[in-house]
Amino acid sequence: MAGFLSVLRRIYLTLYNWTVFFGWFQVLYLALKTLKESGHEHVYDAVEKPLQLAQTAAVLEILHGLVGLVRSPITATLPQISSRLYVTWGILWSFPETRTHILVSSLVISWSITEIIRYSFFGTKEALGSAPSWLLWLRYSTFLLLYPSGITSEVGLIYIAMPYIKESEKYCIRMPNKWNFSFDYYYAAILTLGIYVPGSPHMYTYMLGQRKKALSKSKRE
Amino acid sequence: MKVTLISRSGKEFIKGGLELNDSATVADLQEAIYRRTKKYYPSRQRLTLPLQPGSKEKPTVLHYKKSVKDYCNGNSENLTVMFKDLGPQVSYRTLFFFEYLGPLIIYPIFYYLPVYQYFGYKGERAIHPVQTYALYCWCFHYFKRIMETFFVHRFSHTTSPLSNVFRNCAYYWTFGAYIAYYVNHPLYTPVSDLQMKIGFGFGLVCQLSNFYCHILLRNLRSPTGNGGYQIPRGFLFNIVTCANYTTEIYQWLGFNIATQTVAGYVFLVVAALIMTNWALAKHRRLKRLFDGKEGRPKYPRRWVITTPIRVEMNGKRPLGPLDSAAYLKDVVREVNSHLD
Repeated sequence: MAGFLSVLRRIYLTLYNWTVFFGWFQVLYLALKTLKESGHEHVYDAVEKPLQLAQTAAVLEILHGLVGLVRSPITATLPQISSRLYVTWGILWSFPETRTHILVSSLVISWSITEIIRYSFFGTKEALGSAPSWLLWLRYSTFLLLYPSGITSEVGLIYIAMPYIKESEKYCIRMPNKWNFSFDYYYAAILTLGIYVPGSPHMYTYMLGQRKKALSKSKRE
Repeated sequence: MKVTLISRSGKEFIKGGLELNDSATVADLQEAIYRRTKKYYPSRQRLTLPLQPGSKEKPTVLHYKKSVKDYCNGNSENLTVMFKDLGPQVSYRTLFFFEYLGPLIIYPIFYYLPVYQYFGYKGERAIHPVQTYALYCWCFHYFKRIMETFFVHRFSHTTSPLSNVFRNCAYYWTFGAYIAYYVNHPLYTPVSDLQMKIGFGFGLVCQLSNFYCHILLRNLRSPTGNGGYQIPRGFLFNIVTCANYTTEIYQWLGFNIATQTVAGYVFLVVAALIMTNWALAKHRRLKRLFDGKEGRPKYPRRWVITTPIRVEMNGKRPLGPLDSAAYLKDVVREVNSHLD
């Protein structure tokens, strides 16, 4: 029974990783193609659907961590996926005014390269039992450049969206109401930016630790 | 006898080690360390027996009441002990006092002072009776907690890391301000008179029950707090393992029924999750300790914290939502072990 379940788990994770890999590959291809042909103003329109699908599919990773299907701690996965979903849906999808900015291109390229490497690494690992050393090196080294560029783009886009958030009053709940609750999306955006300040270095140092561990382990083997 | 102290990295912590009497206790060893280092007072020290490299076992912690000789393996002249600095410590009374003092001060500020002017609400504020009763209820609750800290609770651990003060204060003070902001808001919508009475009435009954639970728990421990684990009995403890948490959760439920704020319910859910984790740990610990073997009493069949959550009552079959999740996790862990 356990043997069958382990095979089932591997098949599922292989399918999941390669499906999302192709989603991100499509995002990168469309982004670069549009960037070359039409300019950065049209990048978002070209990648919108595959970007939303690929990014939202990452919610399953939280679920995988929760039920113990993968070993990655939820404390590392949750903030990363939450922030990306917030930018994808809460900023880019909700406020079209931000879509033509150059930062959308840098964001999409940073995300897609990171994810193409990551999902192909895990996909290969699940399918074959191990990943080639060059892919392992890429998985734990490209973030050194792509994390800062991705995070800068995320923070930049939230900041750019703020005047539009304030003006539109979108997603705001005002008192009085039966449940005595109010919510201001503008202040939520400020809070999110505040979380990025300690959160980004924390994630970066966490990844540096993971890199050290993974690369030293591969050297020993 | 000679005690060699090493740090976790394996380096000698005190050059040349320490010379102790053969009758010395672990407490004497801790005092000797403090005298030599001038920095690491006993409650800041964690002394363990060193493990073999690569060992997955939990290290043996040296108990301050025991003799140092008890930890010597045949060789009574030399002992190697691993030292870990636990960081600055504060007494639990200090920790609890400051974490409960915050809500006790913050909440009335929102009720009495014109803070809402700074949030853009000008003009007079009509105060509803429910807001006044909520203030009394809130202040009574935290005053009760402070009084219990000083006069009721007996602590098994004397100190807590200083960092916990900041973490716990952030939790209580933030939630205190968050709830106070909405309950005392000028645009607050009160519930019906009947709902208010039911909520506060139920909350008060639960507060008094909670106090009685704490009295029962106090009587399980010796005045020094070193009674060890005992099976709690009497009142709601005959039904649930952690009746003190049950009454705490229901007391906040009563408060929220009366005040009806999303902020209050968020606090209730977070607090309930934290307390459920503690309760599950305590339940498992008591079941493990009181297994009915070698003359030990068997831990009776009981709910953990609230009636839907029960652990391993009927063999391995999961009962209740939390157990189903735990069961699923165990299955996955088993699968992963096969993969490894």
